[in-house]
Amino acid sequence: MTTQVLAGTGSRAPHAPTVRLLRAELHWIFHRPRTLVVLGLLAVLPVIVGVALTLADSPGPPGDGPGGEGGGSLLASAAGNALVLPVGTLAMTLALLLPLAAAMAGADALAGESAHGTLRGWLLAPVSRGKLLLVKAFGVATVAATAAFTMALTGMLTGLVINGGGTLFTLSGTTLSFPAAIGKVAVAAAWVSLQLWAVGAVALAISAWTEHPMLVVASVLAGIVLFSVLGLLDALSWLHPVLLNDSWQIALADVLRDPMPLDTLGEGALRAACYLAIGLSVAYARLTTKDG
Amino acid sequence: MNPKRKAVSIAAAGTALGVAGLAAIAVPAGAGEAPELPPVSAESLVESVLRADAPALSGTVEVDNDLGLPAVPGVPALDLESARVYSDGEGRSRLALEDGASEHTIVLDGNTLWNYDSATNTVTRSPVDRAHGERPLGPEGERMADPTRLAAEFLRTVRESSTVTVDGTARVADRAVYELVLTPKPAERTLLREVRVAVDSESRLPLRLSVHTNGTTEPALRIGFSDIDFGAQPAELFRFTPPEGATVEQEQQPQREDHMRDEVAGDVVGEGWDAVFVGQLPAGLLDRQAPGERGENVRGLLGQVGTPVSGEFGSGHAITTKVGTALVTDDGRVAFGAVPQQVLTEALGTR
Repeated sequence: MTTQVLAGTGSRAPHAPTVRLLRAELHWIFHRPRTLVVLGLLAVLPVIVGVALTLADSPGPPGDGPGGEGGGSLLASAAGNALVLPVGTLAMTLALLLPLAAAMAGADALAGESAHGTLRGWLLAPVSRGKLLLVKAFGVATVAATAAFTMALTGMLTGLVINGGGTLFTLSGTTLSFPAAIGKVAVAAAWVSLQLWAVGAVALAISAWTEHPMLVVASVLAGIVLFSVLGLLDALSWLHPVLLNDSWQIALADVLRDPMPLDTLGEGALRAACYLAIGLSVAYARLTTKDG
Repeated sequence: MNPKRKAVSIAAAGTALGVAGLAAIAVPAGAGEAPELPPVSAESLVESVLRADAPALSGTVEVDNDLGLPAVPGVPALDLESARVYSDGEGRSRLALEDGASEHTIVLDGNTLWNYDSATNTVTRSPVDRAHGERPLGPEGERMADPTRLAAEFLRTVRESSTVTVDGTARVADRAVYELVLTPKPAERTLLREVRVAVDSESRLPLRLSVHTNGTTEPALRIGFSDIDFGAQPAELFRFTPPEGATVEQEQQPQREDHMRDEVAGDVVGEGWDAVFVGQLPAGLLDRQAPGERGENVRGLLGQVGTPVSGEFGSGHAITTKVGTALVTDDGRVAFGAVPQQVLTEALGTR
């Protein structure tokens, strides 16, 4: 309707080219100070962890680590091993910090723009609602992937500087060549990105329903905490395969095994894809029925 | 259809797809139909199992353990759940035991057994004497072994005292198997009801071993492949080079045997299912510090996990599990077997 009116009157192209829209969205996202601060802090984290592990030079007796959490005990192996540090810090931050970053991006994308009144411009512009969702989802996905790959990069560099290039070995004790090690860390970062996209999709769905970005972040955070608690209850073991964060703590350790077992990673990826489909569908349904 | 309703139905379809995917993850795969296989006699099945060579394979072995072991305070429970097994069919093998976010890797490269623990970054290397045939796999390895060896050993020893039947077919690790069932003869005094071995119909490799006890339907112990692939394995799987910075310890074969002899000396009383091992604990073991954080001696620990018993043999403590009983007397004698407690006290009384 709006498009037709504009198409009739305007002499320029009736539809804004997608690439230009995507570039504009990224420009806005990466010029927000909070995005840069969050990404910067996440990038520094592996450095801090690496230095802390080196200063506390004895990793302590086995089994004395912080419980059976995957991230915690993975980090116990990270001292003296350049390969484990990036994956270990990814596993550690995937528990809460990285999903928080994804939720923040999702909250800014729709609810944040609603709160500032700028979403109205999008809804009136000659852009279909599907394309609007595409642009917003692309923005969230880029933030999530940037966070994961930046952490992987700084973690890898920190590990190499502290432990040296000869210490790229797996949990199975095989020493890897540099390209193979990069490959393993990239697989871990890509898997983490996929999980974060699932979180971001759910955040977008909530974001489409509300004008309060705070509510989006709070709901995603509450959801993650709730899922973690449900995951601890043995009585609900039938429910565990459906919980998005069910394999977050154990799957990343599998990346570091040689040969890499794909069961847990594959199941986690499939689960994330399901959440991605549900989140984007709900967000799409809400956006198309929203009044301009 | 107006564009809005069309969009909503697309969204509904997307949501349904996602939910269906999650449901598919949550619903466990069914056991499937029992396959049709040509009938085989128990004798020829057992024989073909004993004759079969372990082929090159890779697979995942899972352990379901409902043994009813007493919980020892301060000592982590025995919670080994799965292991990945690789074999090249020529005596080289690799075993990866997952332990939370760390891993035990055991590589047998022909002449040397490497045992790597990622949690402590230590490597233990032990020379393997091929002439003796029996290859030591280390404490974890020995417990796990592969189902192949476990079942083959078992079959050889129990045929005199058991009824051996082939009880239909099943599917294990997506392969058609014969179910070989060993039932103790009525005269045997044992806690076990039956032992089932699933034998692959093609390779005649035992793929699953389950131990059933009296009065329960679920097996007390089940060790079996959850997936298995036959075929040549990459050679680099069966080589091991200690990583940089790892502590390498050399273990000597003879020392190991002396150590074992020092632990428990004794012999087997009785035959078949009610065979009982009766022996003498090394002097002073009962007063040694027990594992765990409580700082007790072994005698104190026995008092906690065992029940006090006394009889002609003297007095001691009995530890009862679903598949067996162990009895440690106060003067340091020990007896255990897959039998009720009474058989143990009798066995101790005869010596």
